[in-house]
This record gives sequence, structure tokens and C-alpha cells, in this order.
Amino acid sequence: MLAALAAAALLAHEWWAIATIAAVALAVCLGARGRRWPYLTAALITPVTIFLVTPFVEVRGLHVLWSGPTIPVLGHLDVTTEELAAGGVQALRLGAVTLAFAAYALRLDHDRLLQAAWFARRSVLAVALATRLLPTLERDAVGLLEALRGRGVKVTGVRGRARLVSPLLAGSLERGLNLAEAMEARGFGRPGATRAPGPRWTALDRLGLAFAPALVAAGVLWL
Amino acid sequence: MALASVRDLRFSYPGRDEPALDGVSLDVRPDEVVALLGASGCGKSTLLRALAGLVPHFHGGTFSGSVEVAGRDTRRVRPAELAGTVATLFQDPEDQVVFASVEREVSFGLENLGTAAGSIAGRAREALAAVGAEHLFERQTTELSGGELQRVCLASALALEPRLLLLDEPTSQLDAEAPSPLELARESGWRGAVVLSEQRPDRVLDDVDRIVFLERGQIVLDAPRTDGLAWLASNRPAYVPRIFVEHPAPALPGELVCRLEDVWYAYRGGPPVLSEFSLHLRRGQIVVLSGPNGAGKTTLGKLAAGLLEASTGTVARRGRAAYLSQDPGRYLVRERAVDEVALGVGGDRERAARALACVGLGGHGERHPRDLSSGERERLALACVLVTEPDLLVLDEPTRGVDPERKDELAKLLRRQSGERATLVITHDRIFADSVADHVVTLDNESDVVHA
Repeated sequence: MLAALAAAALLAHEWWAIATIAAVALAVCLGARGRRWPYLTAALITPVTIFLVTPFVEVRGLHVLWSGPTIPVLGHLDVTTEELAAGGVQALRLGAVTLAFAAYALRLDHDRLLQAAWFARRSVLAVALATRLLPTLERDAVGLLEALRGRGVKVTGVRGRARLVSPLLAGSLERGLNLAEAMEARGFGRPGATRAPGPRWTALDRLGLAFAPALVAAGVLWL
Repeated sequence: MALASVRDLRFSYPGRDEPALDGVSLDVRPDEVVALLGASGCGKSTLLRALAGLVPHFHGGTFSGSVEVAGRDTRRVRPAELAGTVATLFQDPEDQVVFASVEREVSFGLENLGTAAGSIAGRAREALAAVGAEHLFERQTTELSGGELQRVCLASALALEPRLLLLDEPTSQLDAEAPSPLELARESGWRGAVVLSEQRPDRVLDDVDRIVFLERGQIVLDAPRTDGLAWLASNRPAYVPRIFVEHPAPALPGELVCRLEDVWYAYRGGPPVLSEFSLHLRRGQIVVLSGPNGAGKTTLGKLAAGLLEASTGTVARRGRAAYLSQDPGRYLVRERAVDEVALGVGGDRERAARALACVGLGGHGERHPRDLSSGERERLALACVLVTEPDLLVLDEPTRGVDPERKDELAKLLRRQSGERATLVITHDRIFADSVADHVVTLDNESDVVHA
């Protein structure tokens, strides 16, 4: 259903339809327990960035609100009403997709999802493991800052924090390698694997699965 | 007949000239327990990985000689195909957990081995019960303590009914009272061969059949337990389990550096971790804080160092405080070890080089911190806090993964410098605690305090 919501948001044309999808995904996220703010922050920052950048890279519309200088490569900079509207729709679209992903990360039981996957299990497992990246990075960042404070090193400003991105990603890569090694040692990738029976599908699960293609079709045809 | 046989094994990691293993030969019988001992970076973990087939398949590098497990040459079979015959419990349980639920985690290996679908859940439950962790079956792995997670990982390994169990630093996450994975495996009724690497020999040497000592990738001792202990006593006395280590009488306590009075602390939305706790830390005094996992020791250390604010009560400090985190992975910010240490002293590389020499990493300043072994990383982290010359030094599990000789050196260093500062050491390592402590404070899970 969440994938269908994201697909419908990408395919729909009407801004109100995309806004509705974003609102539904946001409501689902807000109903989640646990740490929501990293996901909601990401869901806010990416659309805002798109909204701010779009008027400067698109050239459309006649109703000029601001006319700026001519920049090499980019050409003449101006902002029109039509560009703002287009930027708004694109931002809304990306926001809806990000919120659908946030809802997936916050609300779904990834283990159960993996059990239910009857094809492409390795890909589903890779996605489930990748979903852990954000909370793990957040925890590592907190630990790194704490260790630096414990050595009397103050990390201030965007530049100071940006310097931590590289060690955080390196740490994440190292953790990924350790996990891959442990998985191989436990027989992952060996032919003839079986699967423990998962919990039975509920009526709601089946309804959701039936409704998902309809939602995508509605996104293409009517919204 | 040997279950595992290593013949003239030489191995170098990619991009390294010096061999991690240099002409190692070893046989492991089907029912024996072999302890691998030696300094950090001497090749113990690499040998375990070779027995699991992960060296060379997963790590690459230059490999010569042979390793056979249950008659299968590891050069010709991938580690995944050896799973079931060999099972490995890695050093950090957090880095090997794949799933969010305990049930799925223990089932993972069984599924990979092609166990009949209908019997997977039952075998997973049995494996958890065998290590005393059946109550965790429906829990989430993210909610578990380090010790609980290690039991789950052990259950995941034993569920495969391996013939050879490899344990890499199995007691590094455990408090002094917790049973070791080796004890748990034996109590579960499982019978098979065990090869383990360990830096807390006091926790395992009573239960092993053979002792193998490695030095710079070579075996310098391979002997039955009794002979091995005798060799250690004359050649590497730091590795012989001791009841108590003498140290000089404490100097008269100096000025009060840190005062905690009636401190309460609770993490957001949780119950109090500490309640009405009081402690005075004086210059010249080393206080050891001990107690089981989850008793609030780390929280107390962070409160003393000013990394956390007490919910109520008073925490007063005089001078500069430094805190050593129990995760050495948090001291890997820069590209060179010397720069990493210099970060805390405004880039002063001379002071950093002295601090590195102080912890036995004198020749490692130009190495990338991520290229260091786990024990070396721990010492690098220690240099990072010692270099700041604090008035209050808080060390949270400073000996995790550190070999006994380095522990002795660290204990002597702390004793030698104790007059310069107040020191609070949080440790599960009883021998290290006995070696450094002027005063021991034991916390239990209800934050009741016992002084000794």
C-alpha cells in the first residue's frame, strides 16, 4: 500500500491529489512510536530544497516575479509564478514519496515483510537492512559527538558537523562489511534455503494488496 | 583424527606486506576446547576466520598452505557451505544481528541450511532454551542488552548443531558474574570442538584442553592445559589467572575533584537509573566502579564527566574532565593515529606522539586508525583522553579487547599517574580492578551501592 501511495504520488497530476497522499502518509508517520524526527526532518528538507532550486533551473512562464543576473552555464535567472507552481508540485511529490518511505521505516515489521516476500528475497533483505541505516547513523553520530566532548573537543557549526560525515559513513561501511561477513558465515547465499512459515495473511492484508494496484491506476487515470 | 587441520598457513591481508599468519600449523580434535592467546594483532582473529573459511574468501589477500575442516579444504568451499559444520560467534554481537526479532534472528541460519520449514521455529526455541534465553523468543533484538544479545547470537550458532564452534573474544561484553558463552554451550548439552580467542584468560582457562599462544602470526606455544599454564607462568605471567595483584599502598587522597551528592538520573520516559547516589572522587585516588550490566555504571561515569546532567542532586567538578567511551569505534575521526590523538590538544602532534608511546603505540602514529586491531583501537582511544591531561579521568571498560600484558602496563600507568588526577574506572575485569583500585564501588541493578 505504501509503495502504491508513493507510485500514485509520482504519477498523479493534480496538486490536491498529491497533497492528500502526502497528508495520509504524514498521518501514518505521526501515529508511529519511536524516533520520528529524523525521518520527518528528511521529509521536510528534501521537498524544500526542490522548491527553492526549481525556479532557477526551469525556464517557463510569462509572469515574472523577480529578474536576476545572467550566470554562465545557467543563463538568465528569473523567477516566475509558473516556475514556483511547478516547484511546489514537484516538492509535494517528493515529500509524499519521502513520507511514504518514512511510514515504511517507522510502521512496518520488516521481518514479517521479508517472510512474506515470495520472490526477490535478497533484494527485500537488502532494503530492510538499508532501512536501518538512518537510525544507526543517528546513534553513531550521537556517540561520536559524545566521545569528542569527552576529549574536550567542541564541534560547532555546519562545517564542524560536516567533518563528521566521512567518519560516520566509514563506520557505517565497516559495520556493513562485518554484517556481510557474519551473514556469509551463517550460510547466507547457499543454495537450497528454506523459509520458516510466516504468520497467516489477515483480511486487511489481502484488502490492502487488492487496493494497491487500484490506487496506482487512479493516480494515472484520474488524479 | 582431527576435525580441523591447519598446515603451514601463511596469510597477508590485501595491501599489507607483513603476514597476519606466518607458517601456522594446528590440529583440532572433534571434542576439544582450544584457547588462542596472544597480544592484540598477533593473528588470533585471523586464524579463527581461516577456520571458518572467511580467510581468504571474504577478505581476499595472499594465502598459502591449507585449512581443512571436516575433510573439506576451505580453499575449495565457500564459508556459506561450511556453515552448519562451523559456526562463529563474532566479537561484537551488534555487528552480526540481521533481524529485528529474536525468533527470526535465530531462524536465519536454519533457513539458510535448508532446514525443513515446519521444524525451524521449534529448533530456534530449543536453541534459545539451551542457553537460558527462551524468554527472549518474542523480544526485539534492538531492546536487548549486550549480554542478552550475545546469548541470542550463541543460540543462533548452536541451533545449526555445528561440529566446530569459533568464539572471538566471547567474554568481552559480559560482566564478571555472567556465564561465558563457552560455559553456556557446554551446559546446553552441545558437544563439539571449540576454538576461542580470549583476552580475559581468567574467564576461560579452567575450561580449556589446550593452550595455543601466538606471536606476530606464529605459534610459539601449543600444549595441553597444564603444560601451557606452566609455560605461561614462566614466559608470559600476565596471562596466568591471578586472584590478586599487589600494588603500592594508595597515596593520601588529595583535593576533592568531583562530588556527586544525592544524584538521581532517568533517561527520557524511563525509570530512574540512579537514585540518591553520592560519591566523592579525590586527586590521587583510583575508584573502580563495578556491577552487572544495566546497573547504571556508564550513566554514572557520564554524569561525573559532565556528559549528562543529573535529574536532581549535585554534581560539582574542579578542573578538566575526560571520558573514555567503551566503544573505541568512536575515536576514528582522523586519517592518522597521531592526528586522532592530537585532536584533543589543538593539533599538538608532539604531545600526541608522547601519549601514543605511553599506551604502547609509539610506532603506529602514521597508521590509519581503522587499520588497527580492536585491542590497538582501544589503546588509541585511551591515548586520545590521556593526552588532554585531565583532572578527572573516567575510563569506561578500558581493557575490552586489550591483552593481559597491555592491561598490566595500563594498570601501572594509571597507578604511576594517579597523583595527577582523580580516576574513575568502570570495569568488569576483576583482575584489572584489583590491580588499580584504591576503592571499589559496586552497583547492583537497583542502584544499591556496596563500597569495598
